[in-house]
Amino acid sequence: MSLSARMILVLTLVGLISGGFLAGVAKLTKERIALNVQAEIEEAIDEVVDDAEVDMLVYEEEDFVIYKELDDEGRLAGLAIQATGVGFQDKITLMFGLDASLEEITGLTIIDQSETPGLGAKIEDWEDFLQFWENRDARGLLTLRKPPVKTIGELLPTEINTITAATISSKKVLEIVNLSLERLKELIKQEKISVDVEEEDGN
Amino acid sequence: MELVAIFISAVLIQNFVLYYFLGICPFLGVSKKIDSAVSMGLAVTFVMTITAVVSWLINNLILIPHDLGYLQIVSFILVIASLVQLVEMFIRKISPPLYQALGIYLPLITTNCAIMGLALIAALNEYSFVETVIFGFGSGIGFTLAIVLMAGIREQLDLADVPESLKGAGIALIVAGIMALAFNGFIGMLT
Amino acid sequence: MATKSIRAEYIKGLWDENPVFRQLLGLCPTLAVTGTVITGIAMGLATAFVLILSSLVVASIKKLIPAQVRIASYIVVIASFVTIADQVLKAYFYPISEALGPYVPLIVVNCIILGRQEAFSSKNSVGRSFIDALGMSSGFILALLVLSSIREILGAGTFLGYEIMGSWFKPWIIMILPAGAFITLGILLGIALFIERKTKRSE
Repeated sequence: MSLSARMILVLTLVGLISGGFLAGVAKLTKERIALNVQAEIEEAIDEVVDDAEVDMLVYEEEDFVIYKELDDEGRLAGLAIQATGVGFQDKITLMFGLDASLEEITGLTIIDQSETPGLGAKIEDWEDFLQFWENRDARGLLTLRKPPVKTIGELLPTEINTITAATISSKKVLEIVNLSLERLKELIKQEKISVDVEEEDGN
Repeated sequence: MELVAIFISAVLIQNFVLYYFLGICPFLGVSKKIDSAVSMGLAVTFVMTITAVVSWLINNLILIPHDLGYLQIVSFILVIASLVQLVEMFIRKISPPLYQALGIYLPLITTNCAIMGLALIAALNEYSFVETVIFGFGSGIGFTLAIVLMAGIREQLDLADVPESLKGAGIALIVAGIMALAFNGFIGMLT
Repeated sequence: MATKSIRAEYIKGLWDENPVFRQLLGLCPTLAVTGTVITGIAMGLATAFVLILSSLVVASIKKLIPAQVRIASYIVVIASFVTIADQVLKAYFYPISEALGPYVPLIVVNCIILGRQEAFSSKNSVGRSFIDALGMSSGFILALLVLSSIREILGAGTFLGYEIMGSWFKPWIIMILPAGAFITLGILLGIALFIERKTKRSE
């Protein structure tokens, strides 16, 4: 066999064997990978909406996704909103929940961020920041409380806490939520999504 | 506006060398003289921009429509390796002066993790075609900026009294660390 | 070279030819994923998986591959194992795969791996290539472990996520920033060279 024929044969064989092998591995792992991604979203939803049993995707844009949450009896438990916006350094993706009346934020969790490690990255695990998102008034716009406080009781219902040494990242999270609330109101007004607050309550 | 943000971010904030740690080998190896650092930077910028285009086409026209995501790594690396060779042959034919300026740096680029990193990160960020091109070009400029600054500092370092054991890579990395710290100042300029 | 004992073949990867400290190879992942010990070790193991299996395959098929296409064939072999590592991590160790981000696929351009195929596996028996890959992997993991331990302990006051420095300790945030990675590795390289020179002189 000539050299070039052998070269082509070897390269083709190496390519085919590895391609076939990878296709097999992909088949084995694909489902689990999809489940992992799904589980991450579901876990985030459970963190921010109480009694969420059934998740229904009702609206989807690249940076703005709304899930309608039903409890185990099929009543509206609230909404879970996943939103992406620009942070201090890179994009922040977060999930926050609204109660069934859509008047209160029930919680917030960060799904993805690459803020400065040790500073802005605290938005992901700073308890006095994350836990103080409970029961925030969602009817108007929220504001940042500076300097930070130690207990949630010191905040007004329309205020959220600041993280020490990470004011801008805290503010960015707040802006993403405020913008999401406005987008949600606009969508409801234009009847692009229906939440059926009263109806569900009445049943 | 979005495009400007991607460009500035790639050059200053998420700098390939100082933020992603990609392209460290040439960053340490070819940063002893400013002239060669400039040539290396230009060669990388050139290849990065082309890679951005080609990898986007492969990813969005072949891999994604046919659900072949698992071939991404294999196809990207093969395409980059052959692309660099093609670019080298092409430049030699079209522009001998440019070849002379970039020539010896081009083969070095094949194993430069910054090029592969560019293709992967652009795919991961799901950039559109135009965004990918801007991202590729900006990342190349960012690399050039880092390596040229480094070369400027190292030319001065030759005159400094550095402890024997730190000479070479050791002091270069420490200088890079101080540069990374300085570049931290750019974070937030987009907000 | 062939006269080296098996033990010496393994040991050389740990110090004399340590890929990071002595050969300055694979610096990108070394710097990028050593903010915490867990990501450092995960990266080390993933790289070891790819390096060892690629070495075994390359050493077994080296006679079949014409010299002109050997690099291309090695790259396909390496890229295939990297893809497998990437997908297995995504399927079974999702949080770690998220934390490592693009650096898992980037193992494909880790110069240690292609370097060992070209310098060793393509010229030596399967057994020796295995020992060599094992040694180089151990050396790489060692380097990642040292660097990530220093960075996590000083940068966050924790080791593997456990608080170990006590409440008096104020974390040096610079250590988990990119800057800390560069500076720590720079100093470690200096120390490695210093020890090397000291031992050389006393011989």
